[in-house]
Amino acid sequence: MFFHIVLERNMQLHPRHFGPNLRDKLVAKLMKDVEGTCSGRHGFVVAITGVDNIGKGLIRDGTGFVTFPVKYQCVVFRPFKGEILEAVVTMVNKMGFFAEAGPVQIFVSNHLIPDDMEFQSGDMPNYTTSDGSVKIQKDSEVRLKIIGTRVDATEIFCIGTIKDDFLGVINDPGAAA
Amino acid sequence: MSVEPFNRLVKLAARAFYDDITMKGDNQPKTGRSDNRGMAVVILDALTRRQWVREEDLAKDLKLHSKQLRRTLRFFEEEKLVTRDHRRETAKGAKIFSAAVAATSDGQQTGKEGEEKQKMHTHSYCCLDYAQIYDVVRYRLHRMKKKLKDELEDRNTVQEYICPDCGRRYNAFDAMRLVSPNDEYFHCENCNAELVAESDKLAAEEMGDGDDNARRRKREKLRDMLQKMEVQLKPLMDQLARVKDLPVPEFGSLQAWEARANAAGRAANGDSGANDSSKSSQGQGYGGTPMPFLGETRVEVALSGVEVKEEDSKPDAASTSMKVLPPWMIKQGMNLTKEQRGEVKQEPKVDHNSTPSGLSDDKKSKVNDKEDEKDIQDAYIQAYYAAFIKRQQEQEAEKKKQQELENASNAPNDISSDRKVGMKSKRQEDERDDDVEWEEAPTTGTSETHKLNDLNVQADASGDDEDDIDWEEG
Repeated sequence: MFFHIVLERNMQLHPRHFGPNLRDKLVAKLMKDVEGTCSGRHGFVVAITGVDNIGKGLIRDGTGFVTFPVKYQCVVFRPFKGEILEAVVTMVNKMGFFAEAGPVQIFVSNHLIPDDMEFQSGDMPNYTTSDGSVKIQKDSEVRLKIIGTRVDATEIFCIGTIKDDFLGVINDPGAAA
Repeated sequence: MSVEPFNRLVKLAARAFYDDITMKGDNQPKTGRSDNRGMAVVILDALTRRQWVREEDLAKDLKLHSKQLRRTLRFFEEEKLVTRDHRRETAKGAKIFSAAVAATSDGQQTGKEGEEKQKMHTHSYCCLDYAQIYDVVRYRLHRMKKKLKDELEDRNTVQEYICPDCGRRYNAFDAMRLVSPNDEYFHCENCNAELVAESDKLAAEEMGDGDDNARRRKREKLRDMLQKMEVQLKPLMDQLARVKDLPVPEFGSLQAWEARANAAGRAANGDSGANDSSKSSQGQGYGGTPMPFLGETRVEVALSGVEVKEEDSKPDAASTSMKVLPPWMIKQGMNLTKEQRGEVKQEPKVDHNSTPSGLSDDKKSKVNDKEDEKDIQDAYIQAYYAAFIKRQQEQEAEKKKQQELENASNAPNDISSDRKVGMKSKRQEDERDDDVEWEEAPTTGTSETHKLNDLNVQADASGDDEDDIDWEEG
């Protein structure tokens, strides 16, 4: 799920950026530092949408670096248990398959894949129904439900299932491949 | 506030969950003699017949060693079935409890006052916590069902993996770290062995690594288990549903209960009639002696209670509750009324239909059969009785006819009064004003018959009043 929130961060800026466009440099550095990171509390920071406030800088003794407290708005993505996501399959093996929904890694173990889908090993390992009409392989797009999340300080990992109504492959595997 | 449905719940739960629990000491080897399975059930049953009870007394009543009992009770305390209370008390404190016990059991409890020493002793008391039992049993059933259903549908279960070599366990959250670039299995971080999915938590181990066939078999097994559980625990679930809307019997803490019981006991001694119902409801809850018929005082309560009706509507569920409600109790009551009415010579059918109609929905068909049988017997007795009276009267009538022949001179008098004369003893004659004129005449010839009839004065009198007519015809 996506959220638009306000976060705060202390930015350290090198003295060489001190000049007329100090503020631009600061924002650029903020984006570079923050976007794409993951905090266990807020989830993945997808994008910074604005800077609310930059506080007074404090010059560090010895280094000359200046610390600015920065308040910024950003979009974060945080997966929740029970959430339905659309994801792209990245790897298939006998134990199940891995998929990615944006920055989030999701593992679907083989007992959470419908019983009528069987694992086919080979060059392109995949899960296929007995009539071959549905196939899950690398780069397939699937809709899955998250049944568990592990949230570490810097990482979120999810377990998903496609063993429910309206879940499973949502594109033609041939076209994706 | 009826305890009976809750007691039934406890008994069912005991048999369902604690039947094969054995309380063996840690160091004792398990031999045939020390196998005390079923003891838990016995103790729970005993507790349903009591309120607060001192554990030593309970041990004595059950002829158990107090240590053994305490171990079981501790177990029940952990299971949240029983509340316990410990306190250091002198003989006096113990006496308060004994008095409370005596109050609840109508003084049938054997006094234990003499046994306590003057030293301080720690006494433990225990009592069933019905409210909690209800919740615990419900929760237990819920968990059982949920576990089975989850496994059955493989839903919301985080797959676990185990390393066959070092026994280290992983779950699906670790999957990212476990994939190996070489093959399509997960590998242990320690020893690089292939991990095995631990899918058969409940199903047997030999089914192996969860291939499709094994999975199917596992599911069948689970479904079987679920079904079996539904069937076997049906009585328990029914009882839970029945108990749902009833007020939970609450004994309060030990002190509160003691105070209440003592007060109730005093009140009962003062005017036993006034709070008969409350006393009886307590009395059956607590029994000094574990007699199966202790519940019988509650027959009236059970009759008016709704729960009995519900209980009996289920044929298989009623077994224990029926024991508490002895059918002969009711029949005796009915007999009495019938006998009373039999004297007035009412036809038995009417009152019989009226009384059991209230009961018939309460009772099982079995009891009805019994009642029918009893009906027939009673009817027979009544008919016999009626016939007997009639015959007596006929005999008397014949005698009187003879008298009439003798005393033909009294012909203008009406027959009934004539007969009365024949019947009544001299002592009663003066009470009758209208008979005064002809009194003297019949007495002359029939003095002996009067004396004979003297014994039956009452019965004859009542019989005569009604039998006027057929007697006339004869």
